[in-house]
Amino acid sequence: MAGASVLVLQRQRHLKWRALDGLERLLMILCGVSIVGFSSSVLFDILTREIGHPWLWLQEVTSTFFTYGVFIGAAVATRRNDHLYLTAIAEALTGRSRLVVEVFNRAVVLVVGLCMVYFGFLNFLSGFTSFRMPSMTPIASLYAVIPISGLLIALFTIEQLVNGWRRGFEDPAPFKPSAADDAAEAARTLLGQRVMPP
Amino acid sequence: MSGALILGLMTVLFLLFGYMGVPVAFSLMGGVIVGTLFTPVKLSSMIQQMFNGVDSTALLAVPFFLLVGELMTSANVVVRIANLSQALVGHLRGGLAQVVTVFSMFFSGMSGSSSADVAVLSRTMAGPMANEGYRPEFTAALIAAASTIAALVPPSILAIVYGAVGNVSIAGLFMGGVVPGLMIGFGLMIYCYFFGPAGFRRPRTTLCQFADAGKAAVLPLMIPVILLGGIVSGWFTPTEAGVVAVAWILLVVIPALNRGHLRRLPVDFAHAGLIYSLPLITIASATAFGWLLAYLRGPIVVSGWITAAAGTDPHMIMFLLVVLFTIVGDFIEPIPAVIIFMPIVNALTDAASINSVHMGVVLIATLAFGLITPPYGLALLMSSKFVGVRFSSALKASLPIYVVFFVTIAFTIFFPRVILWLPKQVIPESVGCFKSPAGAGYICPP
Repeated sequence: MAGASVLVLQRQRHLKWRALDGLERLLMILCGVSIVGFSSSVLFDILTREIGHPWLWLQEVTSTFFTYGVFIGAAVATRRNDHLYLTAIAEALTGRSRLVVEVFNRAVVLVVGLCMVYFGFLNFLSGFTSFRMPSMTPIASLYAVIPISGLLIALFTIEQLVNGWRRGFEDPAPFKPSAADDAAEAARTLLGQRVMPP
Repeated sequence: MSGALILGLMTVLFLLFGYMGVPVAFSLMGGVIVGTLFTPVKLSSMIQQMFNGVDSTALLAVPFFLLVGELMTSANVVVRIANLSQALVGHLRGGLAQVVTVFSMFFSGMSGSSSADVAVLSRTMAGPMANEGYRPEFTAALIAAASTIAALVPPSILAIVYGAVGNVSIAGLFMGGVVPGLMIGFGLMIYCYFFGPAGFRRPRTTLCQFADAGKAAVLPLMIPVILLGGIVSGWFTPTEAGVVAVAWILLVVIPALNRGHLRRLPVDFAHAGLIYSLPLITIASATAFGWLLAYLRGPIVVSGWITAAAGTDPHMIMFLLVVLFTIVGDFIEPIPAVIIFMPIVNALTDAASINSVHMGVVLIATLAFGLITPPYGLALLMSSKFVGVRFSSALKASLPIYVVFFVTIAFTIFFPRVILWLPKQVIPESVGCFKSPAGAGYICPP
C-alpha cells in the first residue's frame, strides 16, 4: 500500500530494526485515526447541539481520542526523532564524544519512559475506582495510555541504543530523501524541531 | 534539601538535558523525576500531572489549528495568498519585503503557529527574494520577525495555551492580540519602506488584476472570517471554530482548488496527528514541572522578589515580568515557559489588580519577541536554516527590527485601554465586564 510506506520515516535508518517498521506504521495510522476521530466527534457535538438533541457522550469520545493521540504520537515521535528539541548538539559531534552524548540522551529518555510504565501502571490500577460521566466507564480506560506510551518509548529507545552502539549514531550513508521523506520533513518543519544554525 | 535547592537542581537538570539534546518533554520530566526524589511527593502523582496537563477542553483547539496550517501548506493553497499580497503591496518601496509582511499577516490568521509561518514564508518567498537581489540575512531576519505575528493574532496557539493554563478568556486574548499583531506587521512594513532595501518595485496592479488575485484567494481567506466571525458572534468556542475551519478546507477549499490532493489526505492526517502530539506532550511535562515548582513555593518566592522591587505598581510589575520572560524566552520554548511560570503570573496579576487579558497579551508579545532573540530564537534559527545563511548574520540583520518589538511591547504595557478596546467591543465578558442590571449595555472594570 503506497500510503502505508510513506508513514515509515527512512531518515536514520541505521538506528532502526525493520521488524519494528510495522509498529511505526500502525502508530502513525492511529495518530491519523485519533485526529479524525476527535475532529468528527467535535463536529457532531456542534451539529447535535445545534439541532437541540446533544449527544453528551461525544465529549467522552473526544477526550479519549485526544488523550490517546497525544501519548501515541509522543511514542512514535521517539522512533522518528521528531520531538521538540532545544538543540541538536549531538549531531554536530563525531566519534566517541558523539557516542557518549547520544547514549546519555537516550538513557534519560529511557528512564522517563520506564517511570511512565511503572508509575503510570499504578495510576491505571487506581483508576478503576473513579468513573467518567455519563457513561460510568472507569477512568482507568484513559490512564492506560500512559504505561502503553511509556512501554513504546522504552522499546524505541532501546532499539536506538542497541543499533547506535553497534553501528554508531552517525548516519553511515546520507540517504537520498524520497517524496515520502520530503512530506515527513515538511510536516516536521511545521513545528521546527532539530533546528541548528547552519 | 531545601525547596530552593531542589528548584535549582530541577532547573539545571532541565537545561542540561535540553542543551545536551534530550527532547524538551523528556528534559522536563527528567528534572521533575530527580526533583521529586527529594520531596515527599509520590512519583505516580507526577506522572498523573502529565495526564492532567493535557486533560483540558481548551487545548483541543491546538490540533485543529495545526491541521489547518498543515492542510493549507500541503495542498499548496498558500501561493494564492502570496499572489494577493503581491497585488496589494508589491508596488511599494521594498517590493517583496512588503509582500512577506502582508503574506504573514494573512497566513497568521489561519495557522496560529509561528513555526508554520516561517516554513511557509521561507519556501514561498525566500527563492524569489534571492532572485531579486535581497541579502539572504535580511530575508531570514524579516521572515522570522514577520512570523511572530502568528503568536499574537487569532488563532494563536500560544494564546490558547495561555488561556487554558491561566484560566483566562481565550477569545479575549485573541481579540487583545490583534492590535499588537497589527503593530508588528505595520511596523515591519514601515521599517522596510524607509530602512530596508529598495527591492524591485512592480507596477501598481490594475483593479482587474487585483480583483483576479482576490478572487483566487477568496476561499482560503474565508478561514480567518470563519474563525473570527464564529468566535466573536458567540456561535463557536475557539475549539469549535477550529474544527469548522478544518471542515471548510476539507469540504470546500481543497476540492475547489486542488482536487488531486484529496488522495493524499490520509497521509496528511497521519502527519497532523503526529505533529499535534509534539507540543502537547511538552505541555504534559511542563505541567508536571510547573506543579512541582508551585509545590516548592517557587511562585511565591519569585513573586515576592518582584513585588518587593515593584510594589503594586502594575506598570513596574509588567516591566519586570517582561524582563523575566525575555530572559526565559531566550532559553526555552514559549509554551513550556507559559505553563511553568503561570502560577507566578497569576499571583502578580492578582497582587497588582491587572486585567488578566492585558497581562496575557503583554507576555505573549514578549514571548513572540523571544522567537527572534538569541540563543534560542526558534523562528530566527528556522529561517536562517531555510534561507541558508549563518544564524549570527541573520541575528545581526534582525537587530534594527528589534525596535519594532520594543515599541510594540512598551505600547502594550502602557496603553491597556487600546489593547482591551477590541475585546470590550466584541466580547465584553472576556475582560471582566458584566451585563448592567438596568438591562442595556455592560459595566466594565476601570
